[in-house]
Amino acid sequence: MIWVAIILLGGVVALDATSFPQVMVSRPLVAGTLTGVIIGHPVEGFVIGAALEVFALGVLPFGAARYPEAGTAVVAATMAWHAAENGGVAGGPGILMLALVFALGWERVGGSTITAMRRWNERLVARDVPLGAAALERRHLTALSLDFLRGALLTGVGALVGWPLLALAGAHWGLATGTTAGVLRAAVALMLGAALTVFGGWTERHWPFLFGIAAGAALVLFA
Amino acid sequence: MIGFRTRWAVFLRAFSIQGSFNYRTLIGAGFAFALLPALRRLYGNEGLDAVVARHSRLFNSHPYLAPMAVAAVLRMEEAEDAESVVERFKMAVRGSLGTLGDRIIWAGWRPVCLLAALALALLGARWWVVVGAFLVVYNAGHLAVRVAAFRMGDRWGRDVGERLRRLPLGPTQQVLAAAGAFLTGVVLTLVVAWGPVPPAGRGEWMEGPGWVLAAAAAAGLGVRFKSALGGPVVLVLLGFVALGIALGI
Repeated sequence: MIWVAIILLGGVVALDATSFPQVMVSRPLVAGTLTGVIIGHPVEGFVIGAALEVFALGVLPFGAARYPEAGTAVVAATMAWHAAENGGVAGGPGILMLALVFALGWERVGGSTITAMRRWNERLVARDVPLGAAALERRHLTALSLDFLRGALLTGVGALVGWPLLALAGAHWGLATGTTAGVLRAAVALMLGAALTVFGGWTERHWPFLFGIAAGAALVLFA
Repeated sequence: MIGFRTRWAVFLRAFSIQGSFNYRTLIGAGFAFALLPALRRLYGNEGLDAVVARHSRLFNSHPYLAPMAVAAVLRMEEAEDAESVVERFKMAVRGSLGTLGDRIIWAGWRPVCLLAALALALLGARWWVVVGAFLVVYNAGHLAVRVAAFRMGDRWGRDVGERLRRLPLGPTQQVLAAAGAFLTGVVLTLVVAWGPVPPAGRGEWMEGPGWVLAAAAAAGLGVRFKSALGGPVVLVLLGFVALGIALGI
């Protein structure tokens, strides 16, 4: 039952990313948490989603740009994490890093399926012979349905591929917990630094950025 | 005349305007799909296929601002404007609606809301508060933009471009960018100091001051080299995964 719910969630997440209705349940932060709720570990899903969210912050879907699909990847990775943990793999930063790295790889697979889907849509709705009203309506709805199916399939296959990989790698994980956590902290900090470019980069926004660092430091000291 | 129910149907259909996105006509088919209830009213069966074919040609826009163009075209079709006038209008607005939405929504409102959510999480808010607050606040802005865009297009028709130019969109974008940079600084400092997990999970993240310095240095590299480091970071993480497995074997 959980697998069915996860696969359906993957379809919804894929649909929300571009096709309909873009209310951002496809953001890794939300999609990871929703997956966590389904598998009964909302906090873990939330943490995996938040980590991937930092990597996705700088990805901007301008125009017809091609980009990785983080939403379906985080659903697949969180489900794979859950299945691996159920198989006896220890929790903690090690398995979180493995889930994150798997999601970063799988989101590229997702991105290539989006490109393929858009090429398929060309054949569906952008033919040389113009479509009539009824045909256009039918084909537009078909494209939406296919996007849902693409996301569901991508998520299901991703979770099935990720599960043994995470179980195998997690069972043989030899990096100290502190080192793993430190590497993740540095990677997330680096991607956050890189996200400044979304708002204009250092040259244009160094003052608000520095004020933010000062405010963050005050929170660390006094919170 | 096109009534409220048909306009409402057009507005709702515009949520799926990118549903058949393709590299040839971009959201052209979605544009015609959204407009279809109004076109059926105006044209009946006579000439409907021809006008649908005309409206499914190349078009692009930010999805949240597309309702403005859809409503303006609806208004123009209702007023029986010439085909060439409608086409010129669509060509004129497609670039500006795309750029505007990309800057204000994709590179402004969305990352600002996400960074605020991440800051809340790092400060100890519960997961459901963080996700719930993000979805409610973000979508309040999202829906407000869609409704306002549709109403503007419906009210001003082909003059909507001129009306759009009078809005304080430049200052809005500047404020969002400054807020985003500020929040980036806040979240970055919290991550460097505490690690990328909420307070409840921090027990395993006490790695010592060396890693705090490494994270600070990494953040500096990120600011300096921007998104060019995305690929290499994934490769470095893959390297650590390989190392972790090798050490375990």
